Amino acid sequence: MEEKTHTSMQYERELQDIKENLLYEGALVEHAIHRAMGSLLERDSDLARAVIAEDEKINALDEKIESACIRLLALRQPAARDLRFLTTTIKVNGHLERMGDLAVNIANRALELNEVPPVKPYIDLPRMADLTREMVRESLDALVREDRDLAVAVREKDEIVDNLNEQIFRELLTFMLEDSKTIHRALLITQISKSLERISDHAEGIAKMVIYMITGKIVRHRDPGEAI
Amino acid sequence: MKNSLFYRIFGTYIIITLIAMVVVGVYATRQIKDTMMERIEGELTSYAGILSRGFSKSEIQDTLKAVSDLSNARITLIDAGGTVIADSEEEASRMDNHLNRPEIQEARIRNTGRAVRFSTTLEIDTLYIAFPIRKMGDIQGYIRLARPLVEIRQSVRDITLLVLQSFLIVGALSLLIAFIFTSRLVSPIQEMERFTRRLQDGEEPGTLIIGSTDETGRLARNINYLVRELKEKIRSADEEKGKLEAVFSSMEDGILVLDTQGRIEGMNTAVQRIFGLNPEEMIGKALMEILRKIPLHQALNQFKETGGPLSREIVLENGDLMVIDVTISAVQGLPPQQEKTMIVLRDITRIKKLERIRADFVANVTHEIKTPLAAILGYIETLREGAIEEKETAGNFLKTIQKHAERLNRLVDDLLVISNAELGEMRFSFESVSLDGVIENVLTAIEPGASKKGIHIESNMPEDLPSIRGDRDRLHQIVLNILDNAVKFTSDGGTISIRGVERDDGMVAVMISDTGIGIPHGEISRLGERFYRVDKTRSRELGGTGLGLSIVKHLMAAHNGRMEIESQVGRGTTVSLIFPVFHENSIA
Repeated sequence: MEEKTHTSMQYERELQDIKENLLYEGALVEHAIHRAMGSLLERDSDLARAVIAEDEKINALDEKIESACIRLLALRQPAARDLRFLTTTIKVNGHLERMGDLAVNIANRALELNEVPPVKPYIDLPRMADLTREMVRESLDALVREDRDLAVAVREKDEIVDNLNEQIFRELLTFMLEDSKTIHRALLITQISKSLERISDHAEGIAKMVIYMITGKIVRHRDPGEAI
Repeated sequence: MKNSLFYRIFGTYIIITLIAMVVVGVYATRQIKDTMMERIEGELTSYAGILSRGFSKSEIQDTLKAVSDLSNARITLIDAGGTVIADSEEEASRMDNHLNRPEIQEARIRNTGRAVRFSTTLEIDTLYIAFPIRKMGDIQGYIRLARPLVEIRQSVRDITLLVLQSFLIVGALSLLIAFIFTSRLVSPIQEMERFTRRLQDGEEPGTLIIGSTDETGRLARNINYLVRELKEKIRSADEEKGKLEAVFSSMEDGILVLDTQGRIEGMNTAVQRIFGLNPEEMIGKALMEILRKIPLHQALNQFKETGGPLSREIVLENGDLMVIDVTISAVQGLPPQQEKTMIVLRDITRIKKLERIRADFVANVTHEIKTPLAAILGYIETLREGAIEEKETAGNFLKTIQKHAERLNRLVDDLLVISNAELGEMRFSFESVSLDGVIENVLTAIEPGASKKGIHIESNMPEDLPSIRGDRDRLHQIVLNILDNAVKFTSDGGTISIRGVERDDGMVAVMISDTGIGIPHGEISRLGERFYRVDKTRSRELGGTGLGLSIVKHLMAAHNGRMEIESQVGRGTTVSLIFPVFHENSIA
């Protein structure tokens, strides 16, 4: 009996560890996006290199979380809520890892842009980055708090980000048409904008999963005594 | 079991009684058996002894019969070979040889024989006594008396019955006694039990009253004492807790306590304010679930490794930006396996802002002073390199130098005013002042510049506008600064209107509106900051020091008034100067 409680406590602990690692990965991703954008706006190439180097951490965490999830699935054969949590975690983990790579993309483009004079002051891009970062944070908050409304709000923000992306592209197009010397730089900025847009898509993906997870839970609401 | 005590006491009584009865019964039976046996044995022995002396053969049957009647025994006469010669109750010829009977054998050897056997014919224990009949020392035969032990059986039965009867009586009595005893013992115990249960349920139990002076009574007194003590302890603990909680929750700094697992165990209200979350959303959660800030978690990890207190600055973005100074330390005075972590969150947003303003100020002052100085030095150098010879150029240069020097002078004057105002060392001579007159004075100073730009100024100050309590010179400065700005930022041919109103709330407002360039909405709140300019180059071209509105803000505060700015970009700006109305008795 005591043995059993001990193992189940350890199981709970492992689930909690996975959750905390996932959130830590999210924090690293948010941090990476913030710093990648900072390296662009402040023209700080050292910061960009730091972002690229620190992607290692995100990748390591990604592998760690995935193997921990698979280990628990194989050894414990969890049911109901834990199963849903683990499968969701594997998916969210994948999204976060991709976001990390996109932040590295931004840092790489920033490195290139920092070598050449700026085309124009950035106005929409920082706004877009802020929104994207908010989406990442809020999608994870929604996951943790199982907050459906927040998840819905994240999905709504994705539209704003998409519009900003298009707007940035149109604006850059006029620069490129006016002066062909700006084409290279403008394309780099377009890539950054595209990366942000894709990060926000990943955040939206997480939000969608949260909504599914919660609505799924309402149906199976008769699982008492289980805690995420 | 409700009456388990009763059953236990009653059961004990019954068992004790039973044991006593059984012991008494067994001993009494044995004693009576022995006594009676001895008596019967003696009796039979006497008869046997008499008979063994001999009797005439002819009278055998009659003698046996007579003795048998007397002794209540069956008498058998047996010859030396064991053959029954006569029997008091049966036909001798039908009886078997009796030589092998134990009593006969015993009589043959020891001269007297005795045996107790269960007689199958009578179905009862029977005592046999045998004596040999001797003639000249040789055994001629045996006389045997047999007596069924009916009396003994009867006596044993009587005694058993007696014991049983008394057992029933004692049992009934002990039932009664146990009932009385337990009810007397149990009822106070039950009362105490009810009392302590009320205590458990958290009801107000009152005082336990037990009349008796024995152990239960003393127990009740002890319980009463304990309850009083407990109440007092709880009360003082509550009070202490209340005090601590009051201190804890009224603290400006947020305090989070994490348990050994790193989950949030407790917090104060400041934490809720900082994070904008309810305690229910936070208690029991890992910090990571609440706040995903890499610097914070790095600090936490570092703390776990080193165990030493450390602090970090983190930036929160829920709504407004917040800068939080996070200090992590171990909760002191706990056993090693229950170590808790305390996180203190201090909102340093304002301090950070002030730091930035101060840094900006130094940078600005240097910059503001350096610009005219550079110009002055430049012109002087040009003059020294020969321009001084060309009279007209030299004159122009000197005029420019003077202009810059005057700007420097104004800057230093403004700085002095601000610094005095901030240090509270500014001297005011308050009196009743009519704003009407102040504005008129300022207008005469402003008019030339305004008419040069073709700006039309209309003043609409009601005659009956109440006076205010103020320092005439400072009021002049306030209005001058505002009107000067209005003229500067209004394009040629624009209009400036001045309007005075007495408001319902006992204030007097002077509204100065222009049709100038306006101020973007987001900038208005920063206008009172020193050296803050919406459009830096333009303002400086116009000769502003960047301190005008800052001075107005300070001077208005000294007059217990305030400045409000409304503006629309491209449409114009309205600055309202709001003063409290002067009352006779308000001059100290």
